[in-house]
Amino acid sequence: MEIRVKCECGEEECSEWTILELQGVVETQSSFQGSVQNLEIGRLCHSGSSQETYTFTVGYHELTGSKVTLNKPLLVLKKLQKCTDGSSEKETELEVVGIIRSKILFKTRPKPLFSGTS
Amino acid sequence: MEESGSSGGAEAVINLGIGSSVPISYHPCFGPHEDLLLLEADDNLVSDIFSGRVTLRGLPDEDAVLCTKSKTYAIKFVGNSNSMFLIPPSNSPGFIQDDAHGKVSVIKLAPGNMELVEVSPKLDKLKQLLLESPFGPGEADAMMMDDDVSEKNLALYTWSDLVNIIQASDEELLKGLESLSAIEIDGYWRVIDESYLDMILRMLLNNCVLNSWSFDDLDEKEVVSSLVADEFPKQLAGHCLRVFGSEVKGTNKWKLEPRLVCLHFARQVLREEKMRVESFMEEWKKKIPEGMEEKFEMLEGEVLTERIGIETRVYTFSVRSLPSTPAERFAVLFKHRPKWEWKDLEPYLRDLQVPRLSMEGLLLKYTRRAQSRPDAEPIFSAR
Repeated sequence: MEIRVKCECGEEECSEWTILELQGVVETQSSFQGSVQNLEIGRLCHSGSSQETYTFTVGYHELTGSKVTLNKPLLVLKKLQKCTDGSSEKETELEVVGIIRSKILFKTRPKPLFSGTS
Repeated sequence: MEESGSSGGAEAVINLGIGSSVPISYHPCFGPHEDLLLLEADDNLVSDIFSGRVTLRGLPDEDAVLCTKSKTYAIKFVGNSNSMFLIPPSNSPGFIQDDAHGKVSVIKLAPGNMELVEVSPKLDKLKQLLLESPFGPGEADAMMMDDDVSEKNLALYTWSDLVNIIQASDEELLKGLESLSAIEIDGYWRVIDESYLDMILRMLLNNCVLNSWSFDDLDEKEVVSSLVADEFPKQLAGHCLRVFGSEVKGTNKWKLEPRLVCLHFARQVLREEKMRVESFMEEWKKKIPEGMEEKFEMLEGEVLTERIGIETRVYTFSVRSLPSTPAERFAVLFKHRPKWEWKDLEPYLRDLQVPRLSMEGLLLKYTRRAQSRPDAEPIFSAR
């Protein structure tokens, strides 16, 4: 079997995706479980102190991280199932839909925010 | 703190200005999206992929490999225990939000990504497939009479069949076909039956003598038309020149390679037998055309000798019959003979090409090296 990796765009026009990477998992309150769509996770801020420092505030936690340029880019591929004419067999194709050149990495433990107390 | 500009999606994160912030949400279509895959690729591969020259190859029961024009890569999935929130651009087809304005949405949590590791092509199967039905004299006759050969229910393979079955890049596959001396006949890649090839070669050598042609200065047209007159198909006549000769640069002339011709006759003499070296040399010499000289070194990687008492025997042991992956190659070699001297072993390793591993590295990994004295020849055995 041969699967062609195709792309509609050239390297220059390929749309750039990105990743926010953090340790562990983000837990959703039990009342939202199973329907997280549209729910706000947190707020990403490019802080003024340094070029590449970002904070991500999730609930009462603040994560501090930085923008990392990937040594090797990640390509975002989408698996397509195409029906070929006159046969019931489906043909698989992979299409490049995006490229990821940088991510924002939060590698420290979250810092609790105590706002409005004490 | 300022709200970021009007854009949303990944670009809002990438271009987030200092002092700005943006809310991150789950996308209305957030889900597992198993059809979205991440593939790590270096810059060369990225440009190969964007120029549409990359394919995945393999049968359903095999691990797929990724092939560029010239190289083969194994695909490995690397999991990541961190949470990777994947964010598409705001205009990404399939994930467009009605009110995308200023929104950054996560489409899925990526469990990891795929990595590529350059590997040797898997060509062993190619040999097996083509040897199922070598092209022989019967078919050649049918071809000359214009009979339809494809009726005969032979297992035959076109280029696109091979690409679907063999895990190798186009260039590697073509090289594999060349090293089997395969030829495309009526759209199918075939190897030629050894004894049929022997008939053509002997006729060719015969015609050289009859027409007083020099082995170093053969005109393809003349050679081919003389063989066609002897009732060999035209394509095979030309193929015979390619198998046993080489084109003289800058001319349209061909030169027969003594090593290839002599090797062919050595194989014809030996076949499956073990022969006393003296009688082998005698038989071999008889077959060599006048003007060529046989030397035992020509048989490196094709025959081995063994001493039994005072007798030395020679037998066929061809590098072409060995597996092409290093682990399997060494296993077969050490099973055949537990201890090897370097001069015997080297011809059976020469063609092994492993990405990122030198010959020295291969020997360290798969062999044990022993020297009885510092100045003695090293002996290699299995690890």
